[in-house]
Amino acid sequence: MEDVYVIGVGMTKFGKHPDRMAVDLGAEAVLEAIRDADIDPRRIEAAYCGHVYGGMVTGQKVLAQVGLAGIPLANVENACSSGATAIREGYLAIRAREYDVVLAFGLEHLTTRFRGALTPGEDDLEAAVGLTMPGIYAMRARRHMEEFGTTREELALISVKNKRNASLNPYAQFQKPVTLEEVLNSRLIADPLRLYDCSPVSDGAAAVILASGWAVAKLSARRAVRIAAAALRTGTVEVGPVSMTFEELTHRTAQDAYERAGIGPEDVDFAEVHDCFSIAEVLRVEGLGLYPVGEYPKRVARGEAEINGRLPINPSGGLLGKGHPLGATGVAQVVELARQLRGEAGDRQIQRAKVGLAHCRGGKASGIEGAACTVIIMTR
Amino acid sequence: MSNANIASQAYVPFRPGLFRFEEGTGELLGGRCRSCGAWYFPSRPVCAKCLSQEIEILPLSKQGTVYTYTVIYQSTPEFQVPYILAYVDLPEGVRVLAQLTQCPLEGVRIGMPVEVVFEEVGRDQEGRTVVGYRFRPAPP
Repeated sequence: MEDVYVIGVGMTKFGKHPDRMAVDLGAEAVLEAIRDADIDPRRIEAAYCGHVYGGMVTGQKVLAQVGLAGIPLANVENACSSGATAIREGYLAIRAREYDVVLAFGLEHLTTRFRGALTPGEDDLEAAVGLTMPGIYAMRARRHMEEFGTTREELALISVKNKRNASLNPYAQFQKPVTLEEVLNSRLIADPLRLYDCSPVSDGAAAVILASGWAVAKLSARRAVRIAAAALRTGTVEVGPVSMTFEELTHRTAQDAYERAGIGPEDVDFAEVHDCFSIAEVLRVEGLGLYPVGEYPKRVARGEAEINGRLPINPSGGLLGKGHPLGATGVAQVVELARQLRGEAGDRQIQRAKVGLAHCRGGKASGIEGAACTVIIMTR
Repeated sequence: MSNANIASQAYVPFRPGLFRFEEGTGELLGGRCRSCGAWYFPSRPVCAKCLSQEIEILPLSKQGTVYTYTVIYQSTPEFQVPYILAYVDLPEGVRVLAQLTQCPLEGVRIGMPVEVVFEEVGRDQEGRTVVGYRFRPAPP
């Protein structure tokens, strides 16, 4: 099968964009990715667009803005994994030799769609009894504290780390670091989680240009980085009471990705993981096998997950610091992987990074641990 | 229509098929796979473990223990905050998410015994009482 490379990346600044529409943000990201790839846009043969609340034919509207109308496009919805799923669709199409150059992008204008706590969806039974997304993670945090002695302060240090990383990323929503005290004194959202334990409501878009090995050679795309694996799994039905501190879905998706890439978690140099909440980063990293189960919060407190630490996690600022415009999130993770692997990450550059991993999880429904999970591994 | 029918229709469950309720008492309804014995709440048409479609509807235990909990301070407009949410493990091996009632906000603990109660959770558009399930602290 054909190898797949990322040859161009682009994204808007994440944050609140009251004066711009989702389509405008999408167009900005796509145009930046085309410029970054330095290709004739007519080489793009197909496109995949991830979004959650964008509405009908959002992707087509973006194509029309950027002069690409007419090519095949599929809109993809997989909750917070929508953008990563769009990338995987493009990856698979190139693997299957259907196309040589594909555009994958994601976008969201969440500030006009939502205020306050997201829920699993109106028709979901657990949402109907009062479950919110912060609520589910608060309950998982409570278990992690009970089972492993994780402290409130240790969780807060994850938010401190990611917002500090975000302050080094010009595309991030939060441009200022926060202190431990600020996290601990922010208002309660779902006990024990507070406002600064939660990713913000964000608008934004991100885009990548994918290319086959043949196209990379033909275009002499010297900054290309390879996608070594793109795995997708859905959550299984929970039969009987299962652990809420070990993510079976994340673990299972990662195993598939590691196997496809021919590597193990010990080979990963840095990762962007789905830290929609401070506790979420713990659950992801432990489920991925990047840190031992139960130990991640203590390792963060020791500095191991910092940009210059043993195994940096969320150098971009993650969802907590960079922002979380749902459909754009998974694409922005791949943008960060590409910039780090090319050595173009500026003040937040990780030294000697050769293998990067991006993890996304989206959605929750009664009776299943999570709806969709993606793990993308990229190598220099 | 008889008066008795009208009286019984004064209550509506917040979702159909989840519980049986009469004034003062009630029980949650689970699904048990006739083939492998796995339990579900709510019931489902196919057993996730063995794929059997022979699922029987049976009442679940009234008592369980708190697996984990939170106090929600920010929610959607239809809920009045703060309120306690808990995952309750029932002896059948089923985990149920519900609000805790008759319990102070700081009075919840992991492992705490609780029992199911059926309460008014609102009114529908025709003014009828909507009944839902919650749990309250129970003697061990």
